[in-house]
Amino acid sequence: MDTLDLARLQFALTAGAHFLFVALTLGLATIVAVIQTRATFGGNPVHLRMTRFWGQLYLINYAMGIVTGLVMEFQLGLSWSGLTNYAGDVFGSALAIETLAAFFVESTFLGLWIFGWNRLNRWAHLAVIWVVTLTAYASAFFIMTANGFLQNPVGHVLEGDRLRLTDFGAMVANPAAQLAFWHVLVGGLITGAFFVAGVSAYHLCRRTPEQDVFRKSLRIGIGLALPAVFMNAVFGGISFQTLQPAKTAAWTNDAGRLAEAQAEMVARFGPGDYLPPVGWVQAGGITMLTLFAVMLAVAGLSFLLMLFRPVVRGFRLWHWLLVLMIPVPFVTMLSGWIFREMGRQPWAVYGLLRTSEAMSPVTPGQMRFSLIAFCATFAVLIAVNTWLLARQARRGPGAVALGDRPADAPVPVPSF
Amino acid sequence: MEILILAFFVLGYLVLAGADIGVGMALPYLGRSPAERREVIAAIAPFFLGNEVWLVAAAGVLAGLFPRLEGELLHGNYPVVVTLLVAWVVRDMGLWLRGRVPGARWQAFWDGAIVAGSWGLALSWGTLLAHVLLGIRGPAAALPALVPAALFGTHGLTFAALRLRGTLRERAAVLSGGAGEWRTYALTSAALVVVGVLAGLRLPLEPGSAGPLLVPVVLTLLPFLVAAQAWVWWTFRHRVSGPSYL
Repeated sequence: MDTLDLARLQFALTAGAHFLFVALTLGLATIVAVIQTRATFGGNPVHLRMTRFWGQLYLINYAMGIVTGLVMEFQLGLSWSGLTNYAGDVFGSALAIETLAAFFVESTFLGLWIFGWNRLNRWAHLAVIWVVTLTAYASAFFIMTANGFLQNPVGHVLEGDRLRLTDFGAMVANPAAQLAFWHVLVGGLITGAFFVAGVSAYHLCRRTPEQDVFRKSLRIGIGLALPAVFMNAVFGGISFQTLQPAKTAAWTNDAGRLAEAQAEMVARFGPGDYLPPVGWVQAGGITMLTLFAVMLAVAGLSFLLMLFRPVVRGFRLWHWLLVLMIPVPFVTMLSGWIFREMGRQPWAVYGLLRTSEAMSPVTPGQMRFSLIAFCATFAVLIAVNTWLLARQARRGPGAVALGDRPADAPVPVPSF
Repeated sequence: MEILILAFFVLGYLVLAGADIGVGMALPYLGRSPAERREVIAAIAPFFLGNEVWLVAAAGVLAGLFPRLEGELLHGNYPVVVTLLVAWVVRDMGLWLRGRVPGARWQAFWDGAIVAGSWGLALSWGTLLAHVLLGIRGPAAALPALVPAALFGTHGLTFAALRLRGTLRERAAVLSGGAGEWRTYALTSAALVVVGVLAGLRLPLEPGSAGPLLVPVVLTLLPFLVAAQAWVWWTFRHRVSGPSYL
């Protein structure tokens, strides 16, 4: 592999890992915020235990989202300075607003939520988790705005050898950004919903204590999964109409369309290969659609089954089916992402900047060093965190550290 | 104005997150037993998320307002930036994971990750600053890199002295020589600000073309960001009185 391939592999592995954890974050944050709202208004101790249990899993997962996100943000300047040089004045604005309006607030308030448990007023504590959830959405919104610009550049002019932003509204309203944002957000909800349903089904199947917690959680998970799967089909369906011609050609693998897309690009940009890799685009799209059908079927069936209390308690085959469903939304998210991003190739900014032109002048040795360093670190951490998530999920609400200590008894002394 | 915005976030990072890095570096000195170490970590626990995010914000400001400099600075110092990122990830994971499983070996391992990651962060910043300030690269940068690293460590001690109690507080005050805890903290903070400003003066700070659009947005957001952070500092203004979630 040449340096460009290594740089792409490095970015893909980082972004792919980030995407998995972030998808679960978006879903779990929402579910935790909703449950905490019920706990705060209703005062039911079961809801409080649910908040702490799902909140603990949310945090383990969130930490991985942060560290992969950090590396991804800096990789743009490290490996892709051709892109930041050329288009940074445009899509860099979306990234800047993402870090300030969304992630800065999200991170600050998350610290407040974790460590402010039993210390903040409970209404303030509830407001904090909602701020965390809504800023997570805002984060996804501005990242998809940046990504949407790369897919379908709008709102800019070319000045000299770089782009300048002329219409921020157009960049934000870009259909390639808006539809994708809703598609990804609802995908995150599906991921969280199946996760909660699957973990709950495990506990119902094993007849662990706290059946009440998991019966309620199972209903929340499935009650969210079914409408979310429907909604996602809507956004995904409309998105198909906004695909670039070359992506559509690769997806349909129609020789005529492929030739047409290639000829059009050659006429505009001169000789070259302008077609995305058909195999990847098709595999990504087909996997996504197949698993969507599986999720729709399971969510629909489960929605009916959960209406019967004896079934929720004792239908073990169904419990196991739900446990097996936990990884499915993750795979679907990844394959949808492969479909979208592989289908954009060979462009970094569609029709404006090729991926090969977007790279930094980095030596092969440097690229190998960073690839090995990031991969080794993340491989270990992903393994540890996945094990930890599974362990915490299996152990149930009894073993949760989050929020389990009353505020410090000794009289605190101000340090500043 | 673009430069002031960048300076605000970079200097904020150095002073606030610099203290977390320093406490991590001094963890084996401050905390001599697992229980002590957990209490030392509680000194930075509520703040570290809100502190490290200043660097994320600074990188966002670079990407939006100084896209050329972002590329030059990052890929021009490729191995150092990669090391810095890996150290940052390792330090954070140490903090997140140490308390998640009971067991002395697990906690000792992740405490080690916190210390190694913090030293890695401090030395990477030192190497980066040695390049920007003195133009020194490669192994020769190791010596000048120790100066900012020592500064981070000292800054961490002064912050720990403000946050901890009893023996831990006395240990943290070892370098202050009887001066007030607040005064030493202000001194190390000022030193970090000076280093940051000097480094900034050496960089080609030429804003890109997004300023007219982006600067008003950032200026509107700033009071809210500062208010959010102030709420955190106010909530956790008391000295550490026991272990935290981490």
